[in-house]
Amino acid sequence: MTSNPFITMQEIKKSFNGVPVLKGVTLQVEQGEIHALLGENGAGKSTLMNILGGVHQPDSGAIYINGEEVKMLNPRVSQEHGISFIHQELNMVSDLRVYENMFLGSELRNKFGFLKVEEMCRQTHEILSKLGVDIDPKEYVRNLATSYKQLIEISKALLHKSRLIIMDEPTTSLAEHEVNRLFGLMKNLKNSGVSIIYISHKLKEIKEVCDGYTVLRDGELVRTGSMEHEDIETITKTMVGKAISQERFLHEHPFGPVVLDVNGLTSNAFKDINFAVRKGEIVGFTGLAGDGRTELFESLFGYRKKYTGEVKINGQVVKIDHPRKALKAGMGLVPRDRKENAIIKDLSVLHNMSLSSMGNFEKGGFIQDKEERTKFQFYKEALNIKVHNPRIAIDKLSGGNQQKVIIAKWLEAETELLIFDNPTQGIDVGAKQEIYQQIVELAKLGKAVIILSSEAPEVMRICHNINVMFHGEITARFTADEANEEEIMNYATGSKREVAQIG
Amino acid sequence: MANVDVKEYQRETHTTKSRLSWLWSEYSVIIAFIILFIGSSILNPRFLDMNNQLNILMQVSIIGIIAMGMTVVMLSGGIDLSVGSVLALAGVISVLALNASGSILVGVFTALLVGSFAGFLNGLMVAKGRIASFIATLGMMAGARSIALYIANGGSVSGEVSGFTMIANSDLWIFDVPVLIFFAMTALVFVLMHKTRFGRYVYALGSNEKAALLSAIRVDRMKIGVYTLIGTLVGVAAVIETSRLNSISSSSSGSQYELDAIAAVIIGGTRMTGGRGKIIGTLFGVLILGILNNMMNLTNVSPHLQGFVKGLIIIIAVVFQKRE
Repeated sequence: MTSNPFITMQEIKKSFNGVPVLKGVTLQVEQGEIHALLGENGAGKSTLMNILGGVHQPDSGAIYINGEEVKMLNPRVSQEHGISFIHQELNMVSDLRVYENMFLGSELRNKFGFLKVEEMCRQTHEILSKLGVDIDPKEYVRNLATSYKQLIEISKALLHKSRLIIMDEPTTSLAEHEVNRLFGLMKNLKNSGVSIIYISHKLKEIKEVCDGYTVLRDGELVRTGSMEHEDIETITKTMVGKAISQERFLHEHPFGPVVLDVNGLTSNAFKDINFAVRKGEIVGFTGLAGDGRTELFESLFGYRKKYTGEVKINGQVVKIDHPRKALKAGMGLVPRDRKENAIIKDLSVLHNMSLSSMGNFEKGGFIQDKEERTKFQFYKEALNIKVHNPRIAIDKLSGGNQQKVIIAKWLEAETELLIFDNPTQGIDVGAKQEIYQQIVELAKLGKAVIILSSEAPEVMRICHNINVMFHGEITARFTADEANEEEIMNYATGSKREVAQIG
Repeated sequence: MANVDVKEYQRETHTTKSRLSWLWSEYSVIIAFIILFIGSSILNPRFLDMNNQLNILMQVSIIGIIAMGMTVVMLSGGIDLSVGSVLALAGVISVLALNASGSILVGVFTALLVGSFAGFLNGLMVAKGRIASFIATLGMMAGARSIALYIANGGSVSGEVSGFTMIANSDLWIFDVPVLIFFAMTALVFVLMHKTRFGRYVYALGSNEKAALLSAIRVDRMKIGVYTLIGTLVGVAAVIETSRLNSISSSSSGSQYELDAIAAVIIGGTRMTGGRGKIIGTLFGVLILGILNNMMNLTNVSPHLQGFVKGLIIIIAVVFQKRE
């Protein structure tokens, strides 16, 4: 690297709740450079970028712009230093017009305090046409395609005279020709001296547009350099890392008959899904964000109703259009995003545990508190739930313990099939291990288990069979022995796909 | 692992520190009630008179019954603005049924039926039609009042069956029957909310509807049940209201009852967005409103100013509860 970078983040350290997320990371970006920031989920990319964007404060370390130290106290300060952060989820007000979004918070006004609409439209038009986009500035944003919204976000960054733009997976919602347009634009920006930090999982794209790269793994910088001299293979290897001592859970036991059989399931989020799960089997589904796996299983569970295809449970065709029916048919779901979908924060730990199986605790229509307590004591020991008083509200517990309570809830419902969507989301390493152990135990007891996870190593560690999804389709299937992370990555990013479907 | 233990420990000490504020947040309405009660007895000796005390209970019984239902609706995350109008409608129709049949039993059942049916319709609109409860019940409020006015031709209807007035105007031991009905309904709703799965589901639904649905709870049916319940309780209130004067006015009966009921629930500490609140809280909320009204009459506060005082109390109650 040259000695005169535009922006330097020096030895940044950051911990959340005592868990170190960044362990002294250094990042340098030149003026007019497109710099790729790579790493798996949880490697610390977004934390690093949030520090640069002023959302988080580093525990130690410094940020330099053109050699001068700056403190990013809040997002506003960061913006004043010419840094724009384009998030994966677009921050647009869809009921406002294009120009109104562009100037949101920094509207142009005349001396009487009225808005200078024509001036704002003129500037919007100017910037948009520079990008080769032809949109009426007075169009409502809700009427635009996602790719245009993405471009408007970028225009907004330009409008604020940004010198560094952070793009977090900007291409996930774009079609191929739109991606090309975005890349053209990025090259133009680069030529005019704007630097870009580009976060993406799609290595092919990165190879195409980026000049330099930095790879993070578990909060540490593992490799940085120039893109020219690298090939995709080596970078993938660095990202995944060889030395992770995450050995597989060995579990050899015979499978029973097929519990769940899915044929030709199709909706607007996924198409033609076929798979089967046997008793005692752990089946994994992995892929990148937006691959449709969550929608697929929410449909199977009856939370989403608009889908076609055939679902058989124990050989019987079932029509599930409500989670209650899924439960009756013998299906349980531990959903993702615990806070929004799983825990009921005003109810106690005890009441969260019994919520899906009230029938087990009733006598003559009345709830028996004592039985609830006895049962909870059982799960508390079985799952090692750390809580002194089960009557406290569930949101007082740590993430791992909350998740264990939710698992206890579904164990109590005694379903044959259990679906875990991102079961270790936001959970520390120790609790993770315990949850894996539990899942394996369940399979040994003869339950059919499905694991959804965006982390390939996770499914590789505990699953017997792994399905990889891309854009709503199952693109590959591996047994646990065949699977390796690079191959999974290739199918998950769509750079490879199996022509003939198995089974 | 040692790390985890440390965290747990810190959490423990934290709770002991905040125990006092916890006591306040859990029982603030009861504390407020005691303060108000003592203050009133000092301010006016007639307040403590047994007849006056029983009179307060009698006056709050109708609003109290409705407030119990309102608590359940608000715990589920909704609101019911139609209670006053539905009370008038149920009253008018039940008097007609009473006069036509000559049977008190038919009159009572008609009131319950009309009330629960109106509630059922509200529930249907909210659960299946996915209309915001505020809007759905606002529509019902206008509609039910209009039908009551149409049926009664804008005036009042009076009962012609002797004995009907006995319901609200007789007493058992020292209590008036409406007071006993109010207590019975409170006990019923209390058991329903704290001892049955219905109650558990209502709390869950009000706290996090999506998680409740993903926990395999029939959220739609619960909502319909909640609105049907308040409708039925409004039917009970309608019987008392009608029986008290042996007549009901299609234009003025029940007007603004929804505001008093909501006020009682809010003073009782139930959260507007649902999921948190207590039946006992509402009971004391109702009593606080009753004492306030009573005291303002005893101390000759102008009736035109009474609304101001009530409004002030509601706002103060909410401000205190906000500090969590």
